Amino acid sequence: MLNCPMHMDQWHSHLLGERVDQSSLVIQGNRACALGALDAGVRFFAGYPISPSSEIMEAMADRLPAAGGVFIQMEDEIASICACIGAALTGELAMTATSGPGFSLMQEALGYAIMVETPLLIVNVMRVGPSTGRPTAPSQGDVMQARWGTHGDHPAIVLAASNVADMYRLTMAAVRFAQRFRTPVILLADQLVGQMRESFSPELIGRYRLTSGDFDFTPGYIHPDLAREVHRPHVLGSGSHPHVTGLFHDDTGFPTNDPEKSDSFLRELYNKVAHHRNELCLYDVKNEGKGRVCIVAYGSCARTARAAWKLADQEGLPVEVLHLYTLFPLPVEIIQQVARRVEFMLIPELNLGQYAHEVRKMAEQWTTVIGMGKIDGTLFTPREILDRIAELIGKYESV
Amino acid sequence: MSLEIEEFLHTERLPHIWCPGCGNGIVTAAFLRAALDLGLKRESTVVVSGIGCSSRASNYIDLGTVHSIHGRAIAVATGIKMARPNFTVIVLTGDGDGAAIGGNHLIHACRRNIDLTCVLFNNQIYGMTGGQLSPTMEVGGRATTAPHGHVEPPFDLCRLTEAAGASFVARGTAGHIRQLEKLIKKGIAHPGFAFIEAVVPCPTEYGRRNGTANAPRMLDDERTRSISKAKAAGLSRQELAGKIVTGILHEDTTAPEFLQAYTADARAQAEEASAPAAKEQK
Repeated sequence: MLNCPMHMDQWHSHLLGERVDQSSLVIQGNRACALGALDAGVRFFAGYPISPSSEIMEAMADRLPAAGGVFIQMEDEIASICACIGAALTGELAMTATSGPGFSLMQEALGYAIMVETPLLIVNVMRVGPSTGRPTAPSQGDVMQARWGTHGDHPAIVLAASNVADMYRLTMAAVRFAQRFRTPVILLADQLVGQMRESFSPELIGRYRLTSGDFDFTPGYIHPDLAREVHRPHVLGSGSHPHVTGLFHDDTGFPTNDPEKSDSFLRELYNKVAHHRNELCLYDVKNEGKGRVCIVAYGSCARTARAAWKLADQEGLPVEVLHLYTLFPLPVEIIQQVARRVEFMLIPELNLGQYAHEVRKMAEQWTTVIGMGKIDGTLFTPREILDRIAELIGKYESV
Repeated sequence: MSLEIEEFLHTERLPHIWCPGCGNGIVTAAFLRAALDLGLKRESTVVVSGIGCSSRASNYIDLGTVHSIHGRAIAVATGIKMARPNFTVIVLTGDGDGAAIGGNHLIHACRRNIDLTCVLFNNQIYGMTGGQLSPTMEVGGRATTAPHGHVEPPFDLCRLTEAAGASFVARGTAGHIRQLEKLIKKGIAHPGFAFIEAVVPCPTEYGRRNGTANAPRMLDDERTRSISKAKAAGLSRQELAGKIVTGILHEDTTAPEFLQAYTADARAQAEEASAPAAKEQK
């Protein structure tokens, strides 16, 4: 591959198509994602056009070749993720971006990437589904697909972006997690977050840049604390000549039908994510410990939740907000910690309660979990959320 | 006695899973001899296969080997080749894997003329799943999913890949071992997408259902039905029915290869990008 011919200060001007020595600039979420990916070291992108994610691919097509990377538009989403897997097997940082229908097509290969422990970033800018649905309206309908879309028991790391800055920094976090845990990471955004433009501070660029001191980018590197759970770093051309297969395999990389080996292989694959939950779960609590009601939200709904909290504050309603950036692995500890101290957990989602159901399983022994679903392609308003909170508190007090 | 191909063979993984009389081992050995003759290096050679009987070849080959998912070997190989243009990347696939579920990737790789070599083992049947019809099965052929005879016409994969843009297209059979080896060798050395169809006998799944469950007889039949491109040129379509046209069927060494074109374009973009000051002065 070519080396990056530019200095970093030129680099961001070049990527953004404008100078970066301003206090802030206005860019689109999808472009911020591409920028984050390039800053995180992604040097391979294969994709297929689909609304509302295409701008990520377009930005990569424009900038990646000159940055010493590879961009290719493949014949479909299956080919896209497979080409990414091929590149990742040589040690390159690879990514693809898509929306619901394309994400559905990628599921089989996603399972292969998990099975052969290949780092990969998949961005799903969600539209309203199922099927073609409404391609240019926001939704959070793919949450459970991101967790369980590919067949069989498998680990999953799923992040959710709520604004343009998130599209940058969570893309970087996702790449870091993918490399560290040698598994695909899914970043969920939605049409609103992906296609809107908002101000974005270039300071973030410095703050979140991953340096070599921060993380070891050596192809096939396995952090010592993961040595037991990661089986084989498959790096083609690294001097070894591995065999890579989606069949159950043992430590040699070759297939096995041995029940004991099959069991330990899959359990260790699962546990490498489950056992590092605390490191993977990114979240933010507003008004911590002061609410009777906690709004648990992620993605674009977290924006509404924060606005609702500010409104609640003015109106004297005791509300806190738990903003989740990591949906899977499930943030069990933080959910249970909050559940112990609030009377209600309210979960506004642009789906029919996919994540509320997960939260209910974790929290219902301590609190009442209420889902709020919207599937019409519009967002919640802060007032809608606040009205529901007032209703819940009122109902509780009248009992 | 040790065979020279053992250098690139995981002998500890033998015996292989293929049925007695299967032609897959013959094609795999032809590939291994071609790889040895060309002096391919383990560190820079990757064999990618999909799913099916033929794709299991990657299990026994001691090079970098990727046993990928059904139909997608060419897509995975495209990613490997683009990330590491100096690698020699070979796809081993079958008629179901490469021409049914993976047919779209096959024609697009041809169109790009990316420097991969695809050896497609054509036995006209899905062996691993127990004898279902494939897109290369002749009309009248019998399979578990065509118990009364197949009614659909087959693909001519060599005509298909040539039309799609492959710059090297050849066909050989397991009955002509030396020719097959030469074709694979030329295909790997060819700068661009090389497609080699290897006609192989499947006595167990195809043969038993089609009255030819005899491996030597199936190999003999492949030999007698084979005809060179030069001889075939003088025959009508009717006269060619049932014949296997073998040899190099298409070769164009001047067709632009995808990676070379890509790299030249990327270099130009990088040069342009590294001179923003000059641009601003304008």
